[in-house]
Amino acid sequence: MAFLHGLGMVCILLGIPFFVSGTIGLLRFPDIYTRLHALTKADNVGLGFVVLGLALQAEEWNTVARLLLIWLLVLIASSASCHLVARAALRRKIQPWTRP
Amino acid sequence: MSGLYSLAALCLLLAVLAGLVRILRGPTEADSMLAAQLFGTCGVAILLLLSKGLDWVVLQDIALVFALLAALAAVAFALRTWGGTER
Amino acid sequence: MPGKFSCSSFPSPILLGRLLVRLSLFSVLWCVLAGLDGRSWIIGLPAVSAATFCSLLFAPQQPCPVSFLGVLRFIPFFVNLSFWGGCDVMRRALSPAMPINPGLVRYQVSLPEVPQQVLLVNCISLLPGTISADFTDQCITIHTIDRDMPVWSTVHLLERRVAALFGIRVAGGRP
Repeated sequence: MAFLHGLGMVCILLGIPFFVSGTIGLLRFPDIYTRLHALTKADNVGLGFVVLGLALQAEEWNTVARLLLIWLLVLIASSASCHLVARAALRRKIQPWTRP
Repeated sequence: MSGLYSLAALCLLLAVLAGLVRILRGPTEADSMLAAQLFGTCGVAILLLLSKGLDWVVLQDIALVFALLAALAAVAFALRTWGGTER
Repeated sequence: MPGKFSCSSFPSPILLGRLLVRLSLFSVLWCVLAGLDGRSWIIGLPAVSAATFCSLLFAPQQPCPVSFLGVLRFIPFFVNLSFWGGCDVMRRALSPAMPINPGLVRYQVSLPEVPQQVLLVNCISLLPGTISADFTDQCITIHTIDRDMPVWSTVHLLERRVAALFGIRVAGGRP
């Protein structure tokens, strides 16, 4: 049990760099599309690690199922909103930044 | 041990705060829309960590609602705020 | 609540089957959300009934048949790719030189049904280096963070896996 608890803690700590790099990408990247890349992908992997860590430490099946449900919901929500924001920007004729 | 959860949540909170700088500076409206996604993902992670650290299960349900609202906010933005001219 | 459906305009065994499937799915969902406490069903029963009614009202069609084996093989594939997607974007964000070379790519979809296409479009956003930026007439506009990445072959691989999830095959395709 202590082993699973420790493994879960490691997973949670592994998730944090992904969130941080998502934010750094959000600040550094040049246009809306590249910022969407950073936010959508990095943050979802970070959340995946946090959920995995908490699920390893959970005591009831119920909690594990609820955590997975939350993760799935966030996955759907963020990929759908990524698509919608990118589409809205593209239809507004916002040109993607290209390397000069 | 439970202090670690709060510490992790604090790190994520700092990440959200730094992300807010981008959202305040813009330059387009879509950049502010990234806030919904940031709160959606980071906010859910923070709530889950706090729910474990403070042993407060209700926060998991709030995280669930956060995830749902983040999706709805993006849909509303795409359809109402920006979709008007192209439709 | 079930009595309401049997006197609706087209009572059929198919509709009854769908009703039972959705009713049990929403009941399991309620168990996950509320726990196994019997008293929770005071709220759970009306909530599950209302959810079933709304889902039949707004999405009466049967969703595409899903292959169970396909789902089992899709999950590790997807988790692996989205993990590398996160690592890739982390590397680009943290590297001082910021190695990005963004551009737009078009991809012609050969999946036949709308639910399959929606799944593909949503999964593209979590793949390494790609987000789906628009989707009109079977054509996905993909924004890639690096034009030197093999975008077409990655998306085509994903499309084949999505097709396998629904138990169908897609054509070999062209670049």
